[in-house]
Amino acid sequence: MIEAIRTQARNLLENKEVDVIIGYAEGSDSTRTTPVFIRKPEEVSRLIFDPRCINSLPLYLNKRHEYPQKGWKRTGIIAKGCDIRAITQLIAENQLTREEVYIIGVPCDGVVSHFSKWDGRLHDGNQATKCAECDVHTPTDCDFFPGERPEVDRSAPYKVSAPQVLNLMGLNTDKRFDYWRQEFDRCFKCYACREVCPHCSCNICITDRTQPNWVDQAAHTKGVFAWHITRAMHLVGRCTGCGECTRACPMDIQVDLFNQRLKDVVQESFGYKSGYSQDEKPPLITYKTDDSEDFIQ
Amino acid sequence: MSKKIPRHDFEPKIMAFVCKWCTYSGADLAGTSRMDYSPNVRMVRLPCSGRIDPQFLIKTFEQGVDGVIVSGCHPGDCHYNEGNYYARRRNLAFRQLLDFQGIDLGRLEFSWISAAEAIKWTKVIDAFTDRVRALGPHKQYHELIDPYDHYLEAA
Ligand code: SF4
Ligand code: SF4
Ligand code: SF4
Repeated sequence: MIEAIRTQARNLLENKEVDVIIGYAEGSDSTRTTPVFIRKPEEVSRLIFDPRCINSLPLYLNKRHEYPQKGWKRTGIIAKGCDIRAITQLIAENQLTREEVYIIGVPCDGVVSHFSKWDGRLHDGNQATKCAECDVHTPTDCDFFPGERPEVDRSAPYKVSAPQVLNLMGLNTDKRFDYWRQEFDRCFKCYACREVCPHCSCNICITDRTQPNWVDQAAHTKGVFAWHITRAMHLVGRCTGCGECTRACPMDIQVDLFNQRLKDVVQESFGYKSGYSQDEKPPLITYKTDDSEDFIQ
Repeated sequence: MSKKIPRHDFEPKIMAFVCKWCTYSGADLAGTSRMDYSPNVRMVRLPCSGRIDPQFLIKTFEQGVDGVIVSGCHPGDCHYNEGNYYARRRNLAFRQLLDFQGIDLGRLEFSWISAAEAIKWTKVIDAFTDRVRALGPHKQYHELIDPYDHYLEAA
């Protein structure tokens, strides 16, 4: 499979169809991979793909990162099914156009939840949560796919959230508050969870603005709560569930539980699944006159 | 004229974010008609319920408020035609978010109150104040704001 991808990548670069291929390469040790930007055809042999290829590369397609750089026509990207959902969502949000990107889809059976969990093979103990409920093992919309692509029915709803979300929902409100209070006590506001998110598109994040100061910058539980509520709210109906925020968190806080919970809310209340349509408007920038209002007096 | 005002051990602080076309006018009508309603509420007038950013609500909790009301025009009555429809979706999601965070939804209220519904306004405010009073001070959030507060109290 990887040979077919390398050959295609070389052809694309040689024919100047794309200016760069964003993919994965071996990292600093045998458990790690790293994102690479391949610009020369002779370097395509660096490209790899295996369950260690965790990073969500569509991050680099967000306008915030200013790729494609000036003068670049088209960006090639190696994308798993979930990455393609992220790209689709970026297109729906006008972060890029479909023509600007050349998607090399890869079939994926799952990735590890964290590099440190890699022990040579993928098993239930080290698989990322998103992979258990994945319906895009075979990518949806791509320009190149190594081998035959079977038809897959993707009309089913998302599976309900990870077990942790359901466990938390089963607790009473005060217990939930205590849980988050303990978790957020560790957060020191490094903003890694924001930096890795493909859908945090703001050039200046609201938490970095000091005039007016909406989110307290101090890594104090008050500021941390405000930050996580804000972040989750900004990603309602936009998060494609890549799980990068949780993986990136140096303090092991499962920040994406919020996003998963809201994914369910959005699906139940507005019938929207993020990352499946380039044209459908994200739920909070549109409305129906008969939306549910049972919480309103 | 004097009416007996009941005394309570705890008077909640309540914040209301209201749209200027409907709810504010409704509250104004309540005032000009000299209707009695709970004085615990502090109002902020905004152009439209669609302008009421969830950020405002987070900020009010941070500032030690015990309950928050968001109120605007009935669906179809929005002065800007559709602002309240966006507000409805946003607040639906926001409530679920706060619920997941562990904040009691009893401390949040959303209502449609038109410029003519002064009576509804007084009823909503009174009922909400009673509800929040029963829930007590929003201790959890107060402790977040100042985690060392109780050391001072003990001293
Ligand atoms: S919020 Fe987290 S899971 Fe959702 S898209 Fe952003 S990084 Fe991925
Ligand atoms: S948290 Fe909100 S304001 Fe900050 S980058 Fe993400 S979407 Fe933008
Ligand atoms: S990555 Fe973790 S520690 Fe850093 S800001 Fe996000 S939740 Fe806090």
